[in-house]
Amino acid sequence: MKVEGSSFKEIMVAGVLGMANILKEDICDTEDSFEIKSNIVLKATDQTCLLIDFLSEVLSYSYLEKSIYCKVIFIKLTATNIIADIYGKKTIGFDEEIKAVTYHEAEVVKTRRNTWETFIIFDI
Amino acid sequence: MKINKHDIIKKEDFLWEIPQTFRPQMRVPARVIASETLLDAIMVDRSLVQLVNVASLPGIIGASLVMPDVHEGYGFPIGGVAATLYPDGAISPGGIGYDINCGVRLLTSQQNAEEINSKLEELSKEMYAQIPSGMGKGGQINLNPKEMDEVLTKGAEWAVDNGYADKKELNYMESNGRLDNADPAMVSQMAKKRGTDQLGTIGSGNHFVEVDYVEEIYDPIAAEAYGLSKGQVVVLIHTGSRGLGHQVATDYIRGIMAAMPNYGIKVPDRELACVPFNSQEGENYFKAMCAAANFAWCNREIISWEVRKAWKNVFGADVAPLKLMYDVAHNIAKIETHKVDGEKLKVLVHRKGATRAFGPGFEDLPKEYLSIGQPVIIPGSMGTCSYILAGTNRSEEISFGSCCHGAGRKLSRTAAKKQVNAPVLKEKLREMGIYVQAGSFKGIAEEAPIAYKDVNEVVETIQDSGIAKKVAKLRPMAVVKG
Repeated sequence: MKVEGSSFKEIMVAGVLGMANILKEDICDTEDSFEIKSNIVLKATDQTCLLIDFLSEVLSYSYLEKSIYCKVIFIKLTATNIIADIYGKKTIGFDEEIKAVTYHEAEVVKTRRNTWETFIIFDI
Repeated sequence: MKINKHDIIKKEDFLWEIPQTFRPQMRVPARVIASETLLDAIMVDRSLVQLVNVASLPGIIGASLVMPDVHEGYGFPIGGVAATLYPDGAISPGGIGYDINCGVRLLTSQQNAEEINSKLEELSKEMYAQIPSGMGKGGQINLNPKEMDEVLTKGAEWAVDNGYADKKELNYMESNGRLDNADPAMVSQMAKKRGTDQLGTIGSGNHFVEVDYVEEIYDPIAAEAYGLSKGQVVVLIHTGSRGLGHQVATDYIRGIMAAMPNYGIKVPDRELACVPFNSQEGENYFKAMCAAANFAWCNREIISWEVRKAWKNVFGADVAPLKLMYDVAHNIAKIETHKVDGEKLKVLVHRKGATRAFGPGFEDLPKEYLSIGQPVIIPGSMGTCSYILAGTNRSEEISFGSCCHGAGRKLSRTAAKKQVNAPVLKEKLREMGIYVQAGSFKGIAEEAPIAYKDVNEVVETIQDSGIAKKVAKLRPMAVVKG
């Protein structure tokens, strides 16, 4: 999956929504209320690791809470730290089982167009 | 980095080598077990680049190796073997994979294909009902924290202690279905919570439970020792440690990546993250990996119990019980002793998409298999065939006692979905006499036979290379998938 955004924050959100769409297609398209809220606190060595580790945490909570997370409220976000609340919808089953969010070929870069992008490869 | 055919030397028939001089970072040569046709196919993706990267791991000895079913993975190629010197060589979670102790087992029946043909559809539906499969589905057992720790410590023995299996069955599993280095305290709460309701579930992807019959016997003496006969109905079970194992791998790849600078280790791909085995991080991961491996063995044991329940529901309570022929892991790291350049060394063998294939005389084998060698189970795809092989002593000479683990993917899941009309395939398989019960058409398309290499060619290469020998060929009759 390729994610793009005008800021690091935007690609974090795009990653969450892209992953949600794989787990359960279109579930985040509707503006429903969210039944599940989880909190994520992470430190990483660089932006790429922070993105992958954050998505891994969101994935773990998805399986734990049997929920799909569609909304992120950032309390703190730097290149190596994140504190965020994630909001999800309960689901019965998933369309796809993602085993893991891998670091393989992930590299968060700022392009000459001043946008941010990376590939994210899931182990399915 | 690009690898061309002229970079590869033919060492002997079915054994190719990229010399250590190919790249300065390589600590050992990189070797490929394949026919020339398969080698050409392997060169299409980046498996060999990954193999060369593995050859640069700290403490690696002998050679980094791939089997003929190899395909590109994340960091490590799938179908790869890497042995590092014990105790200070590297341990790399990526060399085991996210599905720790993904593996396969074979149950044998005392029925022939003709005897069950009329009940095949009913059997496949009953198995689908009994065995939870698919995405996010929980199983029939909910473990409390104490029980979870027991499963992580005892592996398949937990199933025996709790009445799901006979104790004799433990003799027919690699490592008796239990790794003693397991420490539940090294498994995160998140991993344990994810595994709470997952015992007895197969999950999705390429995992399955399949009813087959023995179509051909190649080695009558080995087949007799393994309890196989022509026409006999058998059951293949392929799954692993489920979300618990995925979480263990995720947790430790993250932690080990962060710890690498402390040991001055740099790797060409983040998924090759590794630390010395005897570091705190390395030991903790090994203990957690062993615990996840135990969970997987217990999982396959509980699934066997579910299969047996389905069998009785369809064929009656008096039906002869299904017997475990063998259970092997193909995503694991084990401490073993191997001869390297004439010297016997204790090593940590990483097998990612590779099966242990020890030859005759290996003392852990059940006594009836001792003169034959360890059974190796090679699943094909749902429309082709699978094989039972026997390990040889030759495998210990050239591949750290390892062999391939399947046919090997040829198409990505996305490519397969684009090319395959799943309802048509399901009907075609039905016409071939194969019933498929799956959670989704998408799952059928992803695992279509065209997504895989020719298993016959892969197995012939294994036989010709001498690292295992053919015992029997199986043909599918019914497949249950997530």
